[in-house]
Amino acid sequence: MSLKFLVVDDSVTMRRIVANSLKNLGYDNIIEAVDGKDALAKLAADPAINFVITDWNMPVFTGLELTKSLRSDEKYAKIPILMVTTRGVKEDIIEALQAKVSNYIIKPFTPQVLKEKIDQILANVQ
Amino acid sequence: MKNLNMSQLFEKLNDVKSLFIYGQKIIPVLQSLVDFMQETVPLLENINHSIADSTSKIPRATDQINNVTNATELATTEILDLVDVISNNLSTIDNSLKDITEKEKIKSSVIEKLKALLPDNAEAMQLFQEYKDNDVTISQIEKLSEVFPKIQNDTYNITLSLQVQDITSQQLAAVNHLIESVQTKLASLIHDIDDTNLKEVQSSENYSTPEGATFDPNASYDKSGDRQDMIDEIIQSENQKASQDEIDKLFS
Repeated sequence: MSLKFLVVDDSVTMRRIVANSLKNLGYDNIIEAVDGKDALAKLAADPAINFVITDWNMPVFTGLELTKSLRSDEKYAKIPILMVTTRGVKEDIIEALQAKVSNYIIKPFTPQVLKEKIDQILANVQ
Repeated sequence: MKNLNMSQLFEKLNDVKSLFIYGQKIIPVLQSLVDFMQETVPLLENINHSIADSTSKIPRATDQINNVTNATELATTEILDLVDVISNNLSTIDNSLKDITEKEKIKSSVIEKLKALLPDNAEAMQLFQEYKDNDVTISQIEKLSEVFPKIQNDTYNITLSLQVQDITSQQLAAVNHLIESVQTKLASLIHDIDDTNLKEVQSSENYSTPEGATFDPNASYDKSGDRQDMIDEIIQSENQKASQDEIDKLFS
């Protein structure tokens, strides 16, 4: 399965770190979005995107709103969504799971955790 | 009838007398209250002025915090750029060393072939041996090649550590939000004391908070992995619950 990642984060630092980590894991097909609204526009413009990695706390349209919006759209109902966020409170995690994120990573993350979660998601998809 | 009226009059006069006596007693108390009020008013004005002054400084504090966030983001981007340059340079050097290793292997092979062509030439054999004894290029390159992945890994770890910038920027945004809340409270306090000062404070509001900015006030730079373990446990437990619910639905 050829993967095209959409990395969504309002922090340019985090976008670069996630993108670098993906490249280190051998995934070169990566595009970036600055918030949830931008992510929706990028997804609409590029049907090849098949994996979303998103932050939660973003202006304009949060990662949770993006997840809910994607899950309510038949076209993206099953697209893998990996939440990478600083929010580590139990209620937040449950809220994210209820919104149907595929998995959840707390910042700061390690490349091992990123790989593990991507592999888990892909194993469930296949 | 006349006596009764006089008696009432004296009764009333006695009441008035009591009132005067009471007044004489209370006047010093009232005087001290007035004195106290006169002393307190400048103090209250002073407090009011201090609150107004502190409140007017708050926008500058939030501006400075925003400047810190912007500066650290810029610096982090510069570090990331440099790390990218170092990584690219390392890759270029690593590739060059691989090419040199291949060429050295070809050179060694050529020497061996030459040795095979001149087996009876003792002088040539001695020179070949001397060449071989001094040829340390491949072993040196191999040693360098072992170091390269370590340097690449270290530079990558620098990149990962820069996640701290995103986390601290959220912490600073939370502090900003707190300061702004304090300013709102102070402004309303000033409004209660003096309307004019509120206008002064509002006119000095030249700070800017990003529209719709969101942040996690609990963001922390914790590299222990404990929080990720806790999250994994919650996810597992919630998934198990969901699975059980599905099974229960099937049997109900």
